[in-house]
Amino acid sequence: MSTILGKAHLLRCPPGTSLQDGGRALGANYGIPRSGAMDLHSYHWANHLLKNPSQAVALELVQPGLKIKFEAPCRIALAGATVAVTVNQVGISNPSLIALDAGDLLEIGAFHTGARLYLCIEGGFQVEKYLGSGSDFVSITGTATRATGEYLHYLPTQSKAVLQAKPKWSTDWFEPETIQAYPGPDWALLSADQQRILLDQPVHLSKLSNRMGIQLEELVANELDDLPTNPVFPGTVQLTPGGKIIILMRDAGVTGGYPRILQLSEDAQSRLAQKKAGDSIRFQLLPTH
Amino acid sequence: MKPSYQRISPTLGELVWNAEPTDELLSIQFAYLNYVQTNFSTSILEVRQGFTRLSLLWKNLASQQEFVKLVDTIHLNPEPLPEKVWQVPVCYHPEYGQDLEDFVKSKNLSVAEVIQLHTQGLYRIHFFGFLPGFFYLNGLSPKLHLPRKNVPALAVPAGSVAIGGKQTGIYPIQSPGGWHSIGRSPLPFFDPKQTPPVWAKPGEQIQFVSITASQFENWKDADTKNFLQ
Repeated sequence: MSTILGKAHLLRCPPGTSLQDGGRALGANYGIPRSGAMDLHSYHWANHLLKNPSQAVALELVQPGLKIKFEAPCRIALAGATVAVTVNQVGISNPSLIALDAGDLLEIGAFHTGARLYLCIEGGFQVEKYLGSGSDFVSITGTATRATGEYLHYLPTQSKAVLQAKPKWSTDWFEPETIQAYPGPDWALLSADQQRILLDQPVHLSKLSNRMGIQLEELVANELDDLPTNPVFPGTVQLTPGGKIIILMRDAGVTGGYPRILQLSEDAQSRLAQKKAGDSIRFQLLPTH
Repeated sequence: MKPSYQRISPTLGELVWNAEPTDELLSIQFAYLNYVQTNFSTSILEVRQGFTRLSLLWKNLASQQEFVKLVDTIHLNPEPLPEKVWQVPVCYHPEYGQDLEDFVKSKNLSVAEVIQLHTQGLYRIHFFGFLPGFFYLNGLSPKLHLPRKNVPALAVPAGSVAIGGKQTGIYPIQSPGGWHSIGRSPLPFFDPKQTPPVWAKPGEQIQFVSITASQFENWKDADTKNFLQ
């Protein structure tokens, strides 16, 4: 049996838009990054609303300006950043869960709070999976981002479905500054002064941030040597010889040679993914388990 | 060579060896890798290898706690390393190794000496990291050690063979990079359409073989097949 896939036309696709799911857990043995949604909390929430299978592929947006036309009926869910949403140029006050008809035009405008929006569709966008994941990563899927003019495919619903549930997305969880982290493998190599600098004051996200990592504006002077190359994970915080603090995110390489000073909790990684350049965060040390 | 275990998060920890990376250490790491994968297959999500650590990602806190109770009682024999040696053709020519001329000057060696030193040894693959399909190799002659560049190159071509610090490696895909490129190999090193996407395994060895610019230019798929048997 073959299903005729619905098509969604990206009439305008802002820079940095990519397809993401829970990530490529099995790739690390070949040096393949984890990838997947930067804010897994929001990604999972929206997929849950749609009763989607795990690893359903969603769009991750980092900028306003998306214009997407759905050529077959479908249900979508939005979570993450709060944004201005219109369907056929009519504003939607609660855009968590939206039923769309064939030909409907969805537009995403200004980001009010947060940095990343997840647009999930019932059944997930249909793409070829590699090592269990459809997440975009240039050396795997041939592209890091999606482009204007492309079509995305999905499993259409039979007709415009009536939606009973009115879930309300809240961003309260990502607004606090606190970023909880465990001491990293090399935390003990830092002096008491260096540890204090990292914990006692707010630090700020720099503009040098992408899916590989988020760099902070503050420097922490250090004379630590490079270490033997060892595993790193999303949420590992590295301290470079120049004193830069880099928080590794989903597309980071699987190993690194800089001291690994902190390891963010899973919740902290999702919260951090909703912070913008210039936002302040405050590390809070969790006890080692 | 008994490791300690360092817990990091409720589900992440690592086996720690405070030793230089050697064949002996790799043999012990393989023994622990197999032990964990065999005895904790239902509670471990991932075992990730580095030069002096094995990171263990657990399904939950209870799984990690169970391992912590046990870890000091584990006694393992080193795992024998594979015998396989892969020959990797490299064209050591300024046209293919964009930093070759600067490299020989910095080291006060001739190109012939660099080729001789780089091709004489066997290099052990410890793990993949940095980029998809990038081998971490051990065994570079100290005569070829050179600190990484201060300013990384924006685009190092796929197949570039390079030296950074005490290590040598091959860029499997085009990437920015801070190592000194001394040549290029015509072999493919990473192909996501293949399962697995790489042709070598950790523990196997690499030997570089010098080829001429004309051999590189006339390289055929059949030549690749001959090398990758």
